Amino acid sequence: MGNTPLATANRSLAWRLWHNHNLRFVLFGLVIATVPLWVSMGVFKTSWLGILGGTVIYAIAAQGMNLLLGYSGLISLGTAGFMGLGAYISAYVTGDMGLPWEVGIIAAVVICLILGLLVGLASLRIEGLYLGIVTLCVAEVLRKTFDEFTAITGGFSGKSANFPTLLGLFKLNQGQTFVLLVVVMVLIMMLTWNLVHGQLGRAFHAMRGSQVAAQAMGVSLMKYRLVSFALATAFAALAGALYAHFTRFVYPSTWALTLSLNILAMVIIGGPRSIYGMFWGALVVYAVPDLFLKQIPVIGDIGGLAYVFSGVLIILVVLFYPGGVVNIAQDVKKLLRKITGKGKKEVSGNG
Amino acid sequence: MANTNVKTSAAPAAKEPTLAPDEVLRIDGLSIHFGGLKAVDNLSFAIKEKEIFGLIGPNGAGKTTVFNCITQFYTPNAGSVLFRTNSGAVENLVGKPVHTIIRKGLVRTFQNVELIPELSIIDNVLIGAHSDFKCGMFSQALKLPGARKEERKMRQKAMDVLEFMGIADLSETPCGGLPYGIRKKVEMARTLMCNPKLIILDEPAAGLNDVETQQLAETIYQVRDKYHCTVLLVEHDMRLVMSICDRICAISFGKFLACGTPAEIQQNKQVQEAYLGVSEEAYEKEEKV
Amino acid sequence: MSTFLQLLLKGLETGAIYALASLGIIIVYRTNFMINFAQGTMGMFGAYIVTVIFAKMNLPLVLCILLGIIAGILIGFVVDFVIIRRTKRVSGSGKEIITLGMMMIFLGIAPLIFGVEPMRLPKLIESGNVSILGASITLNGLFNIIFGLGVTVALFLILQKTKLGLAIRTTASSERTARLMGVPTKLVTLFAWALAMVLGTLAGVMVAPMTSVTTALMDTVQVSAFIACVLGGFQTFYGPVIGAYIIAILGNMLSYYWSDVWGQQILYIAIIIFIIFKPVGLVGKKTIKKV
Repeated sequence: MGNTPLATANRSLAWRLWHNHNLRFVLFGLVIATVPLWVSMGVFKTSWLGILGGTVIYAIAAQGMNLLLGYSGLISLGTAGFMGLGAYISAYVTGDMGLPWEVGIIAAVVICLILGLLVGLASLRIEGLYLGIVTLCVAEVLRKTFDEFTAITGGFSGKSANFPTLLGLFKLNQGQTFVLLVVVMVLIMMLTWNLVHGQLGRAFHAMRGSQVAAQAMGVSLMKYRLVSFALATAFAALAGALYAHFTRFVYPSTWALTLSLNILAMVIIGGPRSIYGMFWGALVVYAVPDLFLKQIPVIGDIGGLAYVFSGVLIILVVLFYPGGVVNIAQDVKKLLRKITGKGKKEVSGNG
Repeated sequence: MANTNVKTSAAPAAKEPTLAPDEVLRIDGLSIHFGGLKAVDNLSFAIKEKEIFGLIGPNGAGKTTVFNCITQFYTPNAGSVLFRTNSGAVENLVGKPVHTIIRKGLVRTFQNVELIPELSIIDNVLIGAHSDFKCGMFSQALKLPGARKEERKMRQKAMDVLEFMGIADLSETPCGGLPYGIRKKVEMARTLMCNPKLIILDEPAAGLNDVETQQLAETIYQVRDKYHCTVLLVEHDMRLVMSICDRICAISFGKFLACGTPAEIQQNKQVQEAYLGVSEEAYEKEEKV
Repeated sequence: MSTFLQLLLKGLETGAIYALASLGIIIVYRTNFMINFAQGTMGMFGAYIVTVIFAKMNLPLVLCILLGIIAGILIGFVVDFVIIRRTKRVSGSGKEIITLGMMMIFLGIAPLIFGVEPMRLPKLIESGNVSILGASITLNGLFNIIFGLGVTVALFLILQKTKLGLAIRTTASSERTARLMGVPTKLVTLFAWALAMVLGTLAGVMVAPMTSVTTALMDTVQVSAFIACVLGGFQTFYGPVIGAYIIAILGNMLSYYWSDVWGQQILYIAIIIFIIFKPVGLVGKKTIKKV
């Protein structure tokens, strides 16, 4: 078939394109970005747009958690606090101060980044286990502040925000905002991929594997823990700011410990150290309960079922399937191959 | 006890940080104690360039503690660790942050081979080159040309090292589940990534069979000759130590016993006592108690 | 002075609650080498059981609490049998994540079984005040203080004087050695989880009359108990208890003397700063890492 040199070159180009991770991320994003189309055609219910938008937002926050927990092996229970802070900052900057949407996002990310660095500093002194509790402490302080600092947060009655206006010119509707969310998620995925497949990623791995060995190899624990924390809080703040502009309303009760736990669950269930896994994790933890569990009569209406579902799933995944749901397709393929008896050796792919 | 402490800490302070021209590492009056226990007590020895130097001693002699003091995992209570760095300058390592030590050309292995199971062999080896990466995070995040070029260069270097170790064909295999012997090789390859001046091997023969130990000896020679580095061997396996070391330092209960060629050490009465226990009468006495 | 004493007494009452919860955390931590993030929700679940029994069966409260304790022991057994036994091979942070999963399950099951309506649990001693040096405290409050101290002391006596206590302490210092020396470590962890559940239930029952019984019942207690453990250090059994009383008393004082709204946050921040400077906590000691 491929006898002429041109055909070979073409095929190898196609092969190269198919194996180009950036292109894959874009394709992945394109598929998700069609959701508003399906909604407008009536294939999906209108409520799906909101739920899937939430999924994308949580996938962004989970990507930060992935860097922290999956790669660096540090635990944080403060994600919700930083997301909330990001949401309020962006809502305040765009609403009360009347500044552009872009400024709101940047302000949210920068302020949270600084706070994240401070918590990171604390983490240098504290062993992994304690760290979860310290971040919990920080999130608790933030949550109470959201309740009480009514001048900025609106207290219990919440705070409103608008759909973003890009560059001060293009006022987006819900569907377009959804596409924007997907674009941001894809960019974050690319960024994460680049970071973890270089020196930084290896330093994170080394840190998780053994702090002692990492130091002996020249990895400064201080620097990389700080970087890891800063990235996680920045991603969380970004997700929070996007949340404010997508749902257009921010309540203090959203940013409770349960949200942090959910984000953690997304990382574990989706597959730690997998970039696509974060979206699948968010889908399983956030969208599946909303889309399907609520359809179950009587008990479906009680919020608890979703928790039980995620809780059981977390335990099962940690105990029996540490790779997370991202590996399902591959494992099913392997299983099928085993069943059909083709003992072909497979080069392990990268999630 | 306070008295002796003062003495030991006062003695090395008077000395100037100098090394003889052919020396690469000299520890002087090194002492460290944990609570009341003196793990290392006023220990001194020097290692010459291109030498394979052995540090031996019975269980609990403080071998590991000594080199944890050299690599600054522990900060010694007294004494100095002089090292001729890659740039040729002589530095006292005491008090330097642990992660800066490798940059000076001093690298170690671990008794229980600390590799990252999820990463491929080549990525594990690249961790050893961590300090040599110059591109910033921003450049890495956006995969700017500089970062790409650097990554490619380091990968090539890692492949060369793997080639040298004879495991280049496995470079993309994840480290988890590899046989012990191969993991040891990967670890050795990792230490070679940083252009080391001095490699400290922590019980490299532990868990290896006779054939593998023989290969290890071979590898150590090759590493020294090809990479022009000095090797400090902390080892239990007497046969390995006696066969490949140029000089050996023996310690017991954190104290210096003897230093010399393998033959001299084998003849040394104190070393024999330390290994075989005290003379028979004393042993019998002990048994009665 | 009487205000101060009043605050102190109130702090001691809250401290008793925190102390029980933090004892639950520490006993699991020391025997299973994992931080049980589900401690608070387990207590919430236990308190729900007591409340439901009380509301549905018209029994005296003391009996309901006893039934709740028995239920707690059983749930503790189930947790250990069904989940914890299987985590032996799971790495450090994996274990913590499993407790987070447990937390979600308890949080989810509670409304499914007990409904979503907030419930009320009365005080054990319905009415009556005592006056101590001008400060007044409810009889129930005084009972809580004494009860909290009593349980703590009883637990320490068990730890120090009984064979079981010895087994627990041996397991705490090295699980593997303990197992090799014939200590029934499985029994120890079983006991630890049952005890954690019971302590949680007791703390829940003590805190319930101050608010209403919902899934959020133990949120503050949970966070405070964790912080107490960090403040007191995870190395000893008594450190967290001290931490618990300090947090409760200081929290009360700060809220009264400084700011009702910000007192708690100031305390948390102060503790974070304290931990940064003394990472092992009040009574912990730094362990030297073997390399």
